[in-house]
Amino acid sequence: MKYSASHISVEMGQSALRYFQGFMPEFSFTDLQALLQYCQVRKFPRKAKLVEEGEVDDYLNIVLSGLVRKYVRSNNKDQTLQLATEGHVVHSELSFLTRQPSLAILETLEPTQLLSLRFDKMEEALEHFPQGERMGRLMLTAMYIKKDERRYARASKTVRELFLDYVAHHPHMLQRVPQKYLASYLNIKPETFSRLKHLGRKSQKINGSSKRS
Amino acid sequence: MDATKAFHHYLNKFVEISDHDFKTMILPFLTIRKFAKKELITRVGERENWINFIGKGLIRKFYLKGEEEINTQISMEGHIIHSQESFHSRTASEYSIETIEPSIVVSSTFDQLEAMFAQSQQMEHMGRMIITHTMVIKDRWQMLLVKLSPRERFIHFVTRNPEMLQRVPQKFLASYLNIKPETFSRFKHLIKGVKSRES
Repeated sequence: MKYSASHISVEMGQSALRYFQGFMPEFSFTDLQALLQYCQVRKFPRKAKLVEEGEVDDYLNIVLSGLVRKYVRSNNKDQTLQLATEGHVVHSELSFLTRQPSLAILETLEPTQLLSLRFDKMEEALEHFPQGERMGRLMLTAMYIKKDERRYARASKTVRELFLDYVAHHPHMLQRVPQKYLASYLNIKPETFSRLKHLGRKSQKINGSSKRS
Repeated sequence: MDATKAFHHYLNKFVEISDHDFKTMILPFLTIRKFAKKELITRVGERENWINFIGKGLIRKFYLKGEEEINTQISMEGHIIHSQESFHSRTASEYSIETIEPSIVVSSTFDQLEAMFAQSQQMEHMGRMIITHTMVIKDRWQMLLVKLSPRERFIHFVTRNPEMLQRVPQKFLASYLNIKPETFSRFKHLIKGVKSRES
């Protein structure tokens, strides 16, 4: 199902505006209106596949509402790469940018609305929208920084630190995301995840000073 | 080829840039820097001020996990290397960057780079294409680390980068490929098979 981007609610418009201003402070409401002409709102039920492995991803999406999981299959196991909620960009960027079949799979975990820019529309927007090139560059840079931070955190932190950090910064995700996906996203064994969850609760009560190894 | 010429050649892959434009719109924003072997270019904890194009040499990027150095990039001539998260977000670097061989790099500071891109739509376009390219390379690599087994990773890497095997100390390569040094040695017998299949 596809809706025209003109149906975007005020609240969602504000959320999109905040997202763009996050990396491009001079981005105005007028700019947003101009950009929306190239976008569409797409609506999906829960458990819908946005992109399958082997398909070319045609869309760059910002989550307006809902939750999207990005994962890869490796040796019959799924590894979750991203859990995107409101205000996050999600797509199979490698496939989108190179126009090659996607290795990643995108699936909704909740009913989801996306603000989407199709690849050919993006090219059109880049040609006609005067700040498009600059915006594209800054957007990619912002994504790049975020990804790098995440990779570094994953590589350098202990499992326990990773868990506590994540829960502290994303308290709502524990409610919204099935535990097995969170465990796979954090690259923690499901059993360990349960144990840490229990520990997290205890350490909250005693003000985070729990030191069990 | 001198280092700035090599850089011009590199940029031409993204956007056609005339000699005149290169001289007037890009060269003024570049600094040539020379480093000896095993010299630190960027230190962990300091803000990365430079983006570097390698004109000559071999450079690695790593972070410390406890006592251990984990290599996340090893690049030679024709590639970009910098602590990009620190550079772009203007925060302290989590990584160190060090030469493996004597190296010559073509560098810009953050402000110089922004000023260079701000000159025209074409320059912004070039900037976007470069960042897209570097992101694609990095993503591909991350995807391979997730999808391939250590053995597959080894074969994938050495078939595409035979020169690296000669130039880079084995321990760095093993860490870069996330393969234990012992396993890496064991895999070396696979190279023979790879070479004869190639020829």
